[in-house]
Amino acid sequence: MSFFSVSDLTAGYGPRPVLEQIAFSLEAGKILGILGANGSGKTTLLKAVCGILPHAGRCTLKDIQLEGLQPRQLARLCGYIPQRSGITIDIPALEVVLMGFNPQLGLLEHPTACMREKAREALALAGLAGREQENYLHFSEGQKQLCILARTLVSGSSLLLLDEPESALDFQYRYRTMQLLRNWVREKERAVLAALHDPLLALNSCDSLLVLANGRVQALLSPAGDPPEEMERQLSAVYGAVSLHRCTDRSGRHQWVMLKEPESSDRKRGSL
Amino acid sequence: MRMKETLSLLLAAGMSLSLAACGTAQVESSSASEPAASEAEPAQTAEQAAPAAEGAGEGTVYPVTLTDQAGREVTIESEPETLVSGYYISTSLLIALDLDEKLVGIEAKADTRPICQLSAPALLELPSVGTAKEFDLEGCAALEPDLVILPLKLQDAADSLEELGITALVVNPEDQELLNEAATLIGTATNTQARAGELLAFAQTQQARLGEVLAGVETPSVYLAGNSDFLSTAGDAMYQSDMIRMAGGVNAAAEITDTYWAEASYEQVLAWDPEYIILASDASYTVDDVLGDPNLAGCAAVESGNVYQIPGNAEAWDSPVPGGILGAVWLSGVLHPEECPEADTMAVIDEFYQTFYGFTYSEIG
Amino acid sequence: MGLPTVKSDKTGLFCAAGAALLAALAAFSLFTGKYPLTLEGLLSGDAMQLRVFWTLRVSRTLVGAAGGFALGAAGFVYQTVFRNPLASPDVIGVSSGASAGAAAGILFLSGAGAVTAASFAGALAAVALALGLSALDRSGRHSTIVLAGIAVHALAQTALMCLKLTADPERELASIEYWIMGSLNGISGYSIGGNLALCTACVVVLFLLHRQLLLLSAEEGEARMLGVSVGRLRLAVLLAATLAVSCVVSLSGLISFVGLLAPHGARLLTRRNGPGTMLLGGLLGGILLTGADILARSVAATELPVSIFTSLLGAPFLIFLVIKGRKAV
Repeated sequence: MSFFSVSDLTAGYGPRPVLEQIAFSLEAGKILGILGANGSGKTTLLKAVCGILPHAGRCTLKDIQLEGLQPRQLARLCGYIPQRSGITIDIPALEVVLMGFNPQLGLLEHPTACMREKAREALALAGLAGREQENYLHFSEGQKQLCILARTLVSGSSLLLLDEPESALDFQYRYRTMQLLRNWVREKERAVLAALHDPLLALNSCDSLLVLANGRVQALLSPAGDPPEEMERQLSAVYGAVSLHRCTDRSGRHQWVMLKEPESSDRKRGSL
Repeated sequence: MRMKETLSLLLAAGMSLSLAACGTAQVESSSASEPAASEAEPAQTAEQAAPAAEGAGEGTVYPVTLTDQAGREVTIESEPETLVSGYYISTSLLIALDLDEKLVGIEAKADTRPICQLSAPALLELPSVGTAKEFDLEGCAALEPDLVILPLKLQDAADSLEELGITALVVNPEDQELLNEAATLIGTATNTQARAGELLAFAQTQQARLGEVLAGVETPSVYLAGNSDFLSTAGDAMYQSDMIRMAGGVNAAAEITDTYWAEASYEQVLAWDPEYIILASDASYTVDDVLGDPNLAGCAAVESGNVYQIPGNAEAWDSPVPGGILGAVWLSGVLHPEECPEADTMAVIDEFYQTFYGFTYSEIG
Repeated sequence: MGLPTVKSDKTGLFCAAGAALLAALAAFSLFTGKYPLTLEGLLSGDAMQLRVFWTLRVSRTLVGAAGGFALGAAGFVYQTVFRNPLASPDVIGVSSGASAGAAAGILFLSGAGAVTAASFAGALAAVALALGLSALDRSGRHSTIVLAGIAVHALAQTALMCLKLTADPERELASIEYWIMGSLNGISGYSIGGNLALCTACVVVLFLLHRQLLLLSAEEGEARMLGVSVGRLRLAVLLAATLAVSCVVSLSGLISFVGLLAPHGARLLTRRNGPGTMLLGGLLGGILLTGADILARSVAATELPVSIFTSLLGAPFLIFLVIKGRKAV
């Protein structure tokens, strides 16, 4: 049995499902990236797994079926970072992070000093050291994302669901965030499921990639092992004509580079 | 046993004494009121005759042009044969002027006013033309009346009726003076000045009688509690304040100058510490409510049980109805039972309703 | 990075100042009124003065301070839960329900406390209906509550209109209108015990749940994934806030602006949303209502509706805070 698996998942907002018959699984210690064009159902998939969206099918984490869990139990297992947090009130960053401890606290309990310390550490890890008392609303979108990431990291869950966590981050923080996730995922029996906007980041930071198209799983790729031609073909289906190239950075690590190629139709037009 | 006997003897003696006292008081006061009345009457009739005289002798000569209480010029072509009244006070006035048989439509909710029931039950069968809030313009026009009498609140409706070719007269009987004016106005419009004069004379006679009887008496303070709430009260500028003054009392809330019901507080009532508390006749609470109100404990009127409600068996005397003077007559009996014994008061009230409304007040429940 | 540095947290300071001001106003309120009370009279045991003091003055002051506090704190809760700075008890129809209830009480009931009981019942009925209707939508969106509230508000207004139409203009209609304008007049020690106790209990519950309030201020899905049973918690919090408001409103009639302004003022002053800000919102509410009531009973020979003064005092204060806030940022 895998660490986390999804089977027969069908979900949507109206009578017409956005996702149909989604199935995949994920091992502990791994990061699974979800790729797909806009509107392909990345966010829908995450929301369905969270149980925010009603759906058919089942999601199982560590042999526990997620459907039907109380919010509290679910929150102890899964953490979720929405594209944009809905926090719209003035609140210090530290308080935002402390929200992450809620599943571990009773209704009338308050975060302990130890929790506050952990929250501070998490903020520092996310690159917001010393800014605990700053107003969350005054942060840039990227800093907000980092703050929410810190909140999710302290929550003690085993599976993180992230919805384009990198979309508002600049280049440096994108890679830093992914590194943070990688460290986190290795610490214990954990896994990450992240819808990603940036295919390069996905190719270079994820253990495997779930490609969504037309509400179905088009392919499950593993950047480390799959032949480049196959990956190129699958990615072209999502992003249009692209080519993949393997490069080596100065430390000797292999990285994927994706280049946009002219579309076949463009080429024809150009020849005319 | 012996105790009881002595007690009953004492009681009997006391009762006969008080009866005797009542008798003498009655004789005294009636003899006192008679000359007062005969003195006042010629003066009043002369005064009343003056405006009537302008209308050429006793009767109205049509067409007549009048200025109504909204300042509108109204011309009445001939003596109106059919009337509509859109206000309870004007309806009561028309009954008093013996015009109830000419009425073809009256205001809504007339069945809640006992005066119609008592004096002219046939009116209750008449079609309703609505209330001051919701006047039924079309329903009124359909009755094709010769003259419509409306309150000031319905001035717009009066103008609309004029446009429809129906003569409408606006009255504003908000206090005694305006009521007198309204009575004269309606009297002239309907050719019943003589009776209107009698009506006004009655009130003036009574006012003069009270003035005479109560000259020099001590004037207790009176708190008048309004219809809606115990804590709403009538300030000095209100009709009810005149009533208290005429009855030989002092309005406890005289310092309030509002022209409408004003809101007082328990504290204020306690600070005024009135000797009498008088409830408006349509009060939505009872004398027992006031006597039992713990917030009023310690107030002189409550301590001594001097809490009364103005009777509303026929009309609310604390509003400017034609019989409004009876409020002062009744209150004088409450405040000064020595000077104004109950029998006298009842005789005056009976006389009024007998003369103008054709029923005997003391015989109704 | 050039982010604005956050001002140090002055919430505690503001709360202390607010509490001191409220205490001063309450003390002033104890010695303002139509009945002449003197310290000597009270100390020497003048029975009448003592009675006026304990049954009328103290209870009126208590309702002004505690009622204003409850309105301010409940307003804070509404604004947080609905994530809408304009939210107030009207959002779920409390005020209009209470008005319709009071009107029905004035028309059909008699006896001490009848109107209070009827308006309380009206407020509860409105809230029960609004929350019940919103529960029909399983998705638990808070927009559903707002929509249900609008529907209930409209229904209650219609009921109120019908009641007014049947009311006798001389007495009942006047009473209804006066009730709607709100006043602390007529409040006495004999009638406030139950309301104050329930109100206090509800406010205590709200303060105990303040950490959950912050969680409710996030989006539904987000809050759920933070382990919050959004629907149930929101129901509990709204119920407590609404009960507190109903307790006050059924005693005083409608009081405009306090529930809206006090929490806003607190937020603008502290730029925070913690329990300290909620406390400050309550204190500001108490200050506003007590101050307005002092004016309502002393500027004229008669009692004036308190809502006139809550708006008159509150509006300039709010504008001042907004302008000051702009300059600071």
